[in-house]
Amino acid sequence: MWLIALKASWRQTLTLQIRYLFNFFTSIITMSIVFLLIFHGVKAVGAGALDLGGTLEGLFTGYIIWMIVLTGYQDLAYNAANEAQTGTLEQLYLSPVGYKWLAFFSGSFNALMSLAMISVITAVMVLTTGQKLHLDIFSILPVFFGVYIQAYGLGFILGGLALIFKRIQSFFQVVTFGVIGLFMIPWSKYPWAKYLPFTMGQHLLQEIMMEGMKFTQAPKGDLAVFAVATIAYFLAGLGVFSMAETKAKAMGLLGQY
Amino acid sequence: MPNPRLPEKHNYLEVQDLKKTFVDKKRTVEAIKSISFGIAKGEMVGLLGPNGAGKTTTIKSILGLIKPDSGIVKVDSIDCAANPREAAKRMAAVLEGARNTYWRLTVWENMQFFAGIHGVCAAENKEYFEYLLETLKLQDRRDTEVRNLSSGYKQKTAVACALAKKTPLVFLDEPTLGLDVESSYELRAALKRLQSEEQRTIVVSSHDMKVIQDVCSRVIIISNGRVVADDNIDDLLSLFRTRNYRIVVSKNAYMQHPELLMAELSQGFPQADINETPDTVEIAVEFTNPFEIYDLINTLSGFRVAVESITQEQVDLEKAFLEIVRREDGVCG
Repeated sequence: MWLIALKASWRQTLTLQIRYLFNFFTSIITMSIVFLLIFHGVKAVGAGALDLGGTLEGLFTGYIIWMIVLTGYQDLAYNAANEAQTGTLEQLYLSPVGYKWLAFFSGSFNALMSLAMISVITAVMVLTTGQKLHLDIFSILPVFFGVYIQAYGLGFILGGLALIFKRIQSFFQVVTFGVIGLFMIPWSKYPWAKYLPFTMGQHLLQEIMMEGMKFTQAPKGDLAVFAVATIAYFLAGLGVFSMAETKAKAMGLLGQY
Repeated sequence: MPNPRLPEKHNYLEVQDLKKTFVDKKRTVEAIKSISFGIAKGEMVGLLGPNGAGKTTTIKSILGLIKPDSGIVKVDSIDCAANPREAAKRMAAVLEGARNTYWRLTVWENMQFFAGIHGVCAAENKEYFEYLLETLKLQDRRDTEVRNLSSGYKQKTAVACALAKKTPLVFLDEPTLGLDVESSYELRAALKRLQSEEQRTIVVSSHDMKVIQDVCSRVIIISNGRVVADDNIDDLLSLFRTRNYRIVVSKNAYMQHPELLMAELSQGFPQADINETPDTVEIAVEFTNPFEIYDLINTLSGFRVAVESITQEQVDLEKAFLEIVRREDGVCG
């Protein structure tokens, strides 16, 4: 049953991606343009004005992490809200596989789509700015998937809120920009900031892409913080979602919009 | 409480003392006060009730989409609360007011997806899916995106997706809502065919009495969060069958003194409603026992009038339903 459900979920996600292919390409174009605007803007006013990892180069990894977070949490949170709105959420809840697994199945496919999209945007970033990046795929991928899983934790939290409060897409947008704030907290001043979601991922990605560090060469402490944060934020998201789900079922809100 | 009028059968679906109250800041709504019923395998049962009676809450509570405050729901002897995954394998539904399908996917893609997430492989069940499309007259729309279909076809697609899951128990909440007469008829015909060919247990909730009377053998009427009637439709109708007759006689040449007939009828049948027109006399009467009609016929025979027609008032499900709900409202009110 699980394999059939996984195949069905992937096929459906792929089919919908193909039907919304225009949306996929406009996302690439929009994200690329936004990066170039930020890049040239920061360059014009001086890198010191914006502390994304301490340097202008930090903007690259900060933006890449932001895109991973954005695609990761939006996949789940917006999907939950949209499914509730269109009236398919209850049908997904009727599956013996369970909604959380179905979300995970489609999420795993979307992670690959997201990886493809971010790769293209990164290529655009490199080609248009002349910035040299170390693209060691085997070091980048663990960070990508770790951050994506953390973003899924955030997505579960927001998806859970969407089950109860419904129209909270505008709040999602606030979160989208709020995430940027996490990358701007200087660790030297606030050492606890490295335990916040996504920040260790950004630090590791910066070391890998800017300094050429291998993932396995990273300090053991940093890797441990990254691993624990990945598991903890994902489980926290799952926990909040489960509570919201229970409340939504108690209040009969799954099918209401 | 099981209905003593119905024969003892093994219940595939069993609902015992289900209760649900919705509480929010503004108000408290007791949606289900106490609902119990059982449905045997292969039965096609109608769930009737006025708006807000608790039909949809009952269905969603059985499906696990709403958490009831108390009560037991068993499907195939599996406790739905204790083992929701196993119970979910046995149930499918088309829910009222929801799209139920992805509009950017085709009919076939929707069937593949919804069957797939229920563990039914589309590739292995291609023939059965084709059979469903044929039965629901959807073959020509197989590769059309649902957004491009009329509401009738959309609804039939939702039904096809629910049936493609091959679950023994299917809930159809208002399956004909918003459909034109032809689409409604087609869907009803398809449901009857599927039920007779597959012996699935189907629960149909509808406002449309004709739909229930047409496709179901049994009806459960819910009002004010309680089951107020649970019976075979024929037995239920027989409870409301009256001895109301309408007799039309013509004032023919043999009828010498119509005023004498009127006087005799008024005296012999004081409960009768008698209307005289230039050509006929219409007598509407409710007999207290089945033999009184002979007395009336004898009286008419004495005046040598020609009887044009004798009709007994027919009771349909709508009248029975209204009567039951009114009685219940009277008790509760």
